[in-house]
Amino acid sequence: MMPVFELLRDDDKARTGNQILSRPGRILLVVGILGLAAAGPIAGSIQPFWVNLLVRMLAFALLALSLDFVFGYAGLLSFGHAAMYGAGGYTAALLVGQVTPNALVVLPASVLVGVVVAALIGWLSVRARGIYFAMLTLAFAQLLYVVVFTDLPATVAGVETVTGGDNGLYGIGSYELAGIGFGDPLAYYFLTLALVALSLAGLIRLANSPFGRVVQGIRENEERIEFIGYDVQRYKVIAFAISGGFAGLAGGLYVPFQSVANPGLLHWTVSGELVVMVLLGGMGTLWGPMVGAGLVVFLEDRLGGVASWEVILGTLFVLVVIFAPRGIAGALISLRDDPSGAVDNVKQALKNYVREVRD
Amino acid sequence: MIESIVRATLLGVQSGMILALIAAGLTLIFGMLDVINFAHGALYMLGAYFGSVIAVELGSFWLALLLAPLLVGVVGIAIEVFSLRPLYGRNPLYHILLTFGFAIMIQGAVVQIWGGQARQIAQPALLTGTLSLGVVDYPVYRLFVLAISTALIGGVWLAIDRSNLGIIMRASAHDTEMVDALGIDVSKVFTGVFVLGAVLAGLAGVLLGASRSVNPGMGMGIIIEAFVIVVIGGLGSFRGAVFSALLIGLVTSYGALIAPTLTDLALFGLMAIVLMVKPNGLFGATEAA
Repeated sequence: MMPVFELLRDDDKARTGNQILSRPGRILLVVGILGLAAAGPIAGSIQPFWVNLLVRMLAFALLALSLDFVFGYAGLLSFGHAAMYGAGGYTAALLVGQVTPNALVVLPASVLVGVVVAALIGWLSVRARGIYFAMLTLAFAQLLYVVVFTDLPATVAGVETVTGGDNGLYGIGSYELAGIGFGDPLAYYFLTLALVALSLAGLIRLANSPFGRVVQGIRENEERIEFIGYDVQRYKVIAFAISGGFAGLAGGLYVPFQSVANPGLLHWTVSGELVVMVLLGGMGTLWGPMVGAGLVVFLEDRLGGVASWEVILGTLFVLVVIFAPRGIAGALISLRDDPSGAVDNVKQALKNYVREVRD
Repeated sequence: MIESIVRATLLGVQSGMILALIAAGLTLIFGMLDVINFAHGALYMLGAYFGSVIAVELGSFWLALLLAPLLVGVVGIAIEVFSLRPLYGRNPLYHILLTFGFAIMIQGAVVQIWGGQARQIAQPALLTGTLSLGVVDYPVYRLFVLAISTALIGGVWLAIDRSNLGIIMRASAHDTEMVDALGIDVSKVFTGVFVLGAVLAGLAGVLLGASRSVNPGMGMGIIIEAFVIVVIGGLGSFRGAVFSALLIGLVTSYGALIAPTLTDLALFGLMAIVLMVKPNGLFGATEAA
């Protein structure tokens, strides 16, 4: 099916996909995480606000990571990841608000809800392929958005409010763990960083496991994997559910930190921006989309003060698609492989562009 | 009772035909160019804003209706030639990213230029008031919208189905290389299709702008509805888009009679059910390429 996916595969995936598995790549990742751990206190001592921004960047990096696992590795374009993100977020909001602030209870619950929602959406959607799969995930995510927005659970259960409808849920407290409160942004930052690092390590292992190989095989050639005897649909649903678990975790980390859960978490534009972050970072590399997400959140925050940040952001996306379709990761990799050829590459890209437009 | 049903039917058909204008462009662009145009809602919004400015500056709704879509068409040419053209043949995901970028960009520009407040397009004096249709009195403007959008959809359908240009368009959707080999400049055909879609979206923007408000959220709001329609009808199918636009229009307006809060739910539920039963949409090709 979708012969178009093959175009990406040939030159991108084989190379960028394996980069992360190499030894220097892993060392670089560990250095990066240690660097982030050091950056937190430094940023906090300069201006407490920076820690806040770092936590948001990490939460979105985790979300982008979860999408890249299902999109970059399994080849399933999900346009509804906001559903799992929002479901995880609302789970955390409701549990922290009404049951317990214990992170050991709430975060696993967020993950579980993410898995369940994703398994359901995945199970209903995997029969469709390509763009139709994307549109089905979008439809189910929007369904969930409407359910939360209109507070359907409250109507069904006959209580006054569950999701808080349009306004969402306010004043959600922070986590606690073994007597330690995470009300301090820096403590929360370390909690988030630790979980994001663990998630990344876990997903890298999973991508390399026999399960991950089958999933990548499905992306490469679905028919062949099916003929070998694997139940392709089941693998797809499981991959989608795993991804949903991490998306739920991202929501569970984001919401108590912001102390607000609103329907906007589930809106389709979140899913759309997420796809953009993944492509911007470089799909199929796991670390690229995290960088992309961090960068977009950072730019949104920094440029938010500048009047026309949306214009700048939109222009950035357009330029990346035209001139650097393999994203930040792709650009970095080609720079590493051939540092002296960088200028020539840019020239060549510009020449190609002019030729294509004239053609 | 009968009155409200007749009213809902009229409203459903009318909003269905307007949605068809937007969805038709979307589905034509997908069918021919293989591009999922996320910027389509932004073009629709741009039509409404251009219309509101022209209506104020030149003081004429009719000039707005004529000029605004043409201006949107010019924007469409720029997008197609300078950004989409270098990307044909690449993974359609890139088109999503690209047009999503344009959607954000245009929305940002609109807020930047005209601010966040809603604007209005004044309805022309000729079309104010209501017309008695026996059972109900119905606003003249809405009847006008119904008539003009039906005429436009009919015109586009005739052009695609009967004219030489339409044959070339359908042929290049079917087999681009063959049409190219026959000496027809396919890239011009592609530009033409994209511009046609943009102009239709711009027209819908002006028409709806004068009955609803013109605001920066309208583009992102309508695009999802248009996607739902196109997907239900079958991506790339013109007939399917028009049929399901009418279907959605009627479902929405009847839904508003029965359970207003659940109409959105019905919209996405309908799409989910259709796709699970017919994964390529009602009028889609049996096997998606």
